[in-house]
Amino acid sequence: MTGVIEVRDLVVRYSGATALDGIDLTVHENEMVALIGANGAGKSTLVKVLSGLLRPESGTITVAGRLSQVPEGREMFPDLSVDDNLRLGGWRNGRKGRDTTAIYDLLPDLAPIRARKAGALSGGQQQMVAIGRALMARPDVLVVDELSLGLAPLVVAALVDHLRFLHTERGLAVLLIEQNARLALDLCRRAYVLEAGRIALHGPARELSRDPRVTAAYLGGHVAVPR
Amino acid sequence: MTERTHPGTVPDRPARRRAGRGRRWALAGLALGTLALPPLLPERHLATFVLLLLAATVTVGVSLLMGYAGQVSLGQASFYAIGAYTAGLLAVHGVPPLVGLALAPLIAAAAAVLLGAPLLRLRGHHLAFATLAVQLILLSLLAQADWAGGAIGLQGIPRLSLFGVELREDLGYAYAAWFVLAVAVLIARNVIESRAGRGLRAAAASETAAAASGVAVGRYRLAVFALSAAFAGLAGGVYAFYLGYLAPGSFPVLLSIEYVVMAVVGGLGTIAGPLVGATVIILLVQVLNTLGTQPGMPDYAPSVLSYAVYALVLVICVLFLPRGLVPALRSRVGRVVRP
Amino acid sequence: MSDLIGYLLTGLGIGAGFALVGSGLVAIYRVTRVVNFAQGAFAVLAAMLTSSLLGAGLPHGVAEVGGVVLGALAGLIVGVIAIGRPGTSPGTSLIVTLGLGVLAYAVEVLIWGDQPRSFPGVSGVAEVGGARLPAHYLLILAVTAPVFLVMAWFFARTDLGRALSACASNRYAAQVVGIDVRRMGLLAFAIGGALGGLAGVLTTPVQQVTFDSDVTLIVNGFAAAVLGGLTRPMVALAGGLLLGVAQTLAAGYGGGAYQMEVALVLMLTVMIIQAARTGPVPETA
Ligand SMILES: Nc1ncnc2c1ncn2[C@@H]1O[C@H](COP(=O)(O)OP(=O)(O)O)[C@@H](O)[C@H]1O
Ligand SMILES: [Mg+2]
Repeated sequence: MTGVIEVRDLVVRYSGATALDGIDLTVHENEMVALIGANGAGKSTLVKVLSGLLRPESGTITVAGRLSQVPEGREMFPDLSVDDNLRLGGWRNGRKGRDTTAIYDLLPDLAPIRARKAGALSGGQQQMVAIGRALMARPDVLVVDELSLGLAPLVVAALVDHLRFLHTERGLAVLLIEQNARLALDLCRRAYVLEAGRIALHGPARELSRDPRVTAAYLGGHVAVPR
Repeated sequence: MTERTHPGTVPDRPARRRAGRGRRWALAGLALGTLALPPLLPERHLATFVLLLLAATVTVGVSLLMGYAGQVSLGQASFYAIGAYTAGLLAVHGVPPLVGLALAPLIAAAAAVLLGAPLLRLRGHHLAFATLAVQLILLSLLAQADWAGGAIGLQGIPRLSLFGVELREDLGYAYAAWFVLAVAVLIARNVIESRAGRGLRAAAASETAAAASGVAVGRYRLAVFALSAAFAGLAGGVYAFYLGYLAPGSFPVLLSIEYVVMAVVGGLGTIAGPLVGATVIILLVQVLNTLGTQPGMPDYAPSVLSYAVYALVLVICVLFLPRGLVPALRSRVGRVVRP
Repeated sequence: MSDLIGYLLTGLGIGAGFALVGSGLVAIYRVTRVVNFAQGAFAVLAAMLTSSLLGAGLPHGVAEVGGVVLGALAGLIVGVIAIGRPGTSPGTSLIVTLGLGVLAYAVEVLIWGDQPRSFPGVSGVAEVGGARLPAHYLLILAVTAPVFLVMAWFFARTDLGRALSACASNRYAAQVVGIDVRRMGLLAFAIGGALGGLAGVLTTPVQQVTFDSDVTLIVNGFAAAVLGGLTRPMVALAGGLLLGVAQTLAAGYGGGAYQMEVALVLMLTVMIIQAARTGPVPETA
């Protein structure tokens, strides 16, 4: 079975420094996969290569359908309105693809703030806009880079609910990139662990969350409570 | 800005010493060659020679400013003008020419310090426009200043006289200009190799890092600005005596741009760069000028050709040889010598 | 009093030219971070072509549009050379536009010579509030006002305009949503060229152009734009009008001298105050 995302033997360098070194990774249709790793492991680099913003040195990437990303740091258009931010998400879809009503149905929290400038929003609201903007591209697979970074637990919980809904009800495939390993391992069925540009471990999330190497490095040394 | 010399790539010490010795010999050879040249040149080429040396003197300063202080000045001709008018006005009022010539760089540097104190807070394109604005203001003020000859210009500047000998022929000015350029080159060399030079190089690479390591970035930058103005002022002083006539129209904004072109083309932050840049550009313009004034050519041909040369050489150089001719040649030669 | 009204209207007319040049600079700078030194050349080229087209018997309107189109085309060409090569830094691009501005001299002198040129605009004298001034100044204002309104609408309300604003707002995010930022940069250069061309076409009947008029235009345009940090077209409009009025008042009451100095000193002051307030800005060029 092939996946929506197929990455084979991917190598990426930044002017000499190797950021990704022989990555193999698959995201299947209708699957939610976690990619965890420490700061600087190369996660965001993978996102950039997947969305075509960075050219790899070697290896292959196949994406079946359309990939859309929620970038690290949310990357709002700060002086444009929420609605304009969303519309721009549909840039690739031409004139018809820029209708934002479906997004407000999906993410009703955005409706009351649609006219506000994105730069004036809270972090959680911005993350919601970033998700909505990514959905405007009508993706088959969503790559979320650091969903929880800098957000309060309650806000994260709400975002997670939305993501889970999109996944289970809309059949959206998701690659979730997180430094919060517990969150990612709880949410996804399968996971990859990226260390210094290489895939150090991968497998079912439940097994990984019990793996001593993972618990020591990413789960604060405590054995995760089985679900 | 365009790329700067990178302090990181230091060759091993003997190689550097060898290169340094080679360069010193080259400089000495160049000095002797150019000293022997003027008597051999026909009169009309002698004028080009004088203007070339004066332009090179100004460009040494521009290159220092752009390469070491990392700043573009689009108003360097202002300091050339200030030097020229200082020398010219003093001479017209009976001050001995040599005194006027000595004061020209001092007044230009003083003006640079006064202007630089507020202006050097600006960076990049802001500074570029600020220096351009300063020159426009200066030109407009000069044109309205009756005591400086106004728009018509300052006439009747006596010739330069050294120790009672009046320089009447172009040949004398060729040696005066040679001497002025030599002074500028020697000072620039010392500055580059001094502690201040290293500090500036660090500041050009990263201002924050340099400031953090205790380099007085602002003061060094002002010093380089003043020094480059002094070079321009000194060259301007010679120019005043050489032509015997000054007008605001002799110092257009385009002249300032020409200095930038010469500096960029030669390569910023090197000693050879401005010399090569000025030589290449002036000779190229001279050749095209000769072509353009051939019988049968329209009378606008010389100016069209020279504008085109400045423009194309600058654009092509910036895009394809961003470090300038000298570093590009040097690395090519280096590759041939050390395979 | 009627003197004052006359000076104000003339100043606004001249200032509209600065505002158009300045907003062209802004249009380009917002999207590309390049300060386009060739901006004044667009005005000169457009004015020169218009004078030729009128001389060849084309009617008013058509000739002026021809000039503006040439401005846009010149803008596009400058853009292709200045930002076309991937990896060209804004500082390098600035020097390239400086060179292309000089190249425009060569083209202009070659085609149109080095003598000042002009062409008739709206003829006659208008009387407003007791002040008499050439009617053409009113045309300048009547054209500039809607142009700025259309621009505001374009940048805020059309998808293409939003995409340009998006590049200005967050370049990386624009790439993330799939906007080709380099293409948008070229579009911005073309818009800047058209605005510069319009400035030249509108003001030439009251202020003749020479090939090197671009220096005054670019400096005044930059002065107008710098008030809004080079990123706000509407501030450039206000700045341009202010400069124009300040200059005509200085000329009118100051006896003709020092009008250029007013604009330049104002610009220097604004920049120095801005720098003092924000601290030394990190190098963008
Ligand atoms: N634009 C860049 N230029 C050079 N090195 C970079 C660049 N972006 C990231 N890196 C380096 O690549 C490595 C991986 O970075 P990144 O993909 O951002 O990691 P992560 O998202 O896992 O924190 C890091 O060592 C980082 O310093
Ligand atoms: Mg990251």
